[in-house]
Amino acid sequence: MKIINPVYRHETRAGARSFKLPLIVLAFNGVLAAVALLNMYTMIIRVKLTAELQYSSFLGLYAFVAAVEFALLLLFIPAMTAGSISGERDRQTLDLMLTTRLTRSDIVFGKLASNLSTVFLLIVSSFPILGLVFIYGGVTMADVGLVLLCYVVTAVLAGSIGIFCSAAARRTTMATIASYCIVAALTAGTVGINYLSVRFLDMTTVSGASGKSGLLYLLLGSPAVTFLSVMERQAGGGNILAALVPQLEWAREAGVMTEYWWIFSMAVQLFLAAFFLWGAVKSMNPRRRRRRRL
Amino acid sequence: MLKIENLKKVFGRTVALDGLNMTVEDGALYGFVGPNGAGKTTTIKTVIGLLLPDSGRITVGGVDIVQEPGKMLSKIGYVPDSFGIYDNLKVAEYMEFFAACYGLTGLKARKRSQALLEQVGLDDKADFYVEGLSRGMKQRLCLARALIHNPPLLIMDEPTAGLDPRTRYEFKEILKDLRGQGKTVLISSHILPELAEICTDIGIVDQGRMVAEGSLDQILEKINVTTPLMISVAEGQQAALRILREHPMVETITIRDEDIMVGFSGDKQDEAALLQQLVDAEVQVYGFVRERGNLESVFMQITDHGEEGTVLIHEDY
Repeated sequence: MKIINPVYRHETRAGARSFKLPLIVLAFNGVLAAVALLNMYTMIIRVKLTAELQYSSFLGLYAFVAAVEFALLLLFIPAMTAGSISGERDRQTLDLMLTTRLTRSDIVFGKLASNLSTVFLLIVSSFPILGLVFIYGGVTMADVGLVLLCYVVTAVLAGSIGIFCSAAARRTTMATIASYCIVAALTAGTVGINYLSVRFLDMTTVSGASGKSGLLYLLLGSPAVTFLSVMERQAGGGNILAALVPQLEWAREAGVMTEYWWIFSMAVQLFLAAFFLWGAVKSMNPRRRRRRRL
Repeated sequence: MLKIENLKKVFGRTVALDGLNMTVEDGALYGFVGPNGAGKTTTIKTVIGLLLPDSGRITVGGVDIVQEPGKMLSKIGYVPDSFGIYDNLKVAEYMEFFAACYGLTGLKARKRSQALLEQVGLDDKADFYVEGLSRGMKQRLCLARALIHNPPLLIMDEPTAGLDPRTRYEFKEILKDLRGQGKTVLISSHILPELAEICTDIGIVDQGRMVAEGSLDQILEKINVTTPLMISVAEGQQAALRILREHPMVETITIRDEDIMVGFSGDKQDEAALLQQLVDAEVQVYGFVRERGNLESVFMQITDHGEEGTVLIHEDY
């Protein structure tokens, strides 16, 4: 009989008992709700003052709330996952697990699954806040579903990075710092590198050539660019994306994956997540650890 | 049950294990002793598969641990020097978690868990959170956890460290029970009198090598233990030391509080003469005994590299 992964079962049980889970859900949704309601209130006040109803501002509200949720996920997930393996090491329970029939993959996937359960809980519980936009219309369920898919892929990627750092680092603090660094490098670093490469080409090549090159495909690994491309499809307002990706206009004209950027980028990010998980499994091999403790 | 042949393990420039050989017979209660850094924990971690040996061969019940690590895992129960517990689980849940790690679930896991908790005297604590248990109870829980898959070999690394005498006594009784059930137990500890009392075999490791192995009697027979004279002095320790330093049969002098341990090569008449000399010098001697050879004295002799506590080494030594 195939049983539920014992690590997943144990983690979810212990997690459900902890006061941390309701606190995280409360903090996450509290911040999100406050942002959404404040934004909505400002919008209504503006309507009262100007007697003008701008439909785009409702879509703006949706995009803003979705962006805040995306940022919160990127902020929460590394902190949640970075302690998962190193915490076991600190408690000295990792060696015990490794001497059982559990494989390293069982431990890694059990940890990832339990952390993702919490993240899914956050995403699902925030759905009513994101659904505020349905009051006014303009965004379909399919659109919201796509945003949720984007969140899930981001969660898998950031979670895998956290688990990898947790398995590779000796201490939870180091793992947390390293996770945030890698997440920041993938999310914003790739955008920065691409931007600089374009600007560098601007200075060194004939006018107009720079917009066609740079390191556009590096951005496939950036969850932020994926999210912005999804938002642009749904709520318009691609100014931010255009500002961050200088060669966007050229890419659009050339049809370079821009239409289905989100599909390709999500695939790349899932591949990266798989790579980080593989790294986590490899770095957990106790026989590879070079200990000085005799 | 466990056979280690020519085991070598090097960490960087440190040689942790230097051709260690060891044999633990079926049903033995094997005491594994050695000074800090001798290679005990490295040996244990290599046997349970947490470290890969550089060379050598380890077999558990005839199974080579490098070639068939999966089979080996079901044969060994491991109790580390730390508790390795989850505070936010109840005792029964903790047991069931590790049962699931060995593929045991449902009623089978619960029954096995209950039986083991009963064996270690924790059956009434099944619904208690682990964090509420005393140190001794936690250690007994770890022992029960290590037995959840009914392994024939139990390996324990410093299991009684930090436990009070009553808990240590209870722990010893459990170990005796386990031996009665046919389990082979390998126990690493620094509490030598305790090991001497319960173990059928002893292995003394030093600098990564097995320097003595067998029953305590065999070891005492094999190694010519020069047990020291223990002289307890109430007053006049300086005068006593002066006499001892000048005595031609005194090889080493080690001071422990009011006691002076003297490596003495003379016979009974020489001992009597030395005592008379001390009394004549008005040294107040209230104890003068040559200790019987025991595990501690064997251990001290074998692992003595001349650096600890010796205040005099005679020129002839």
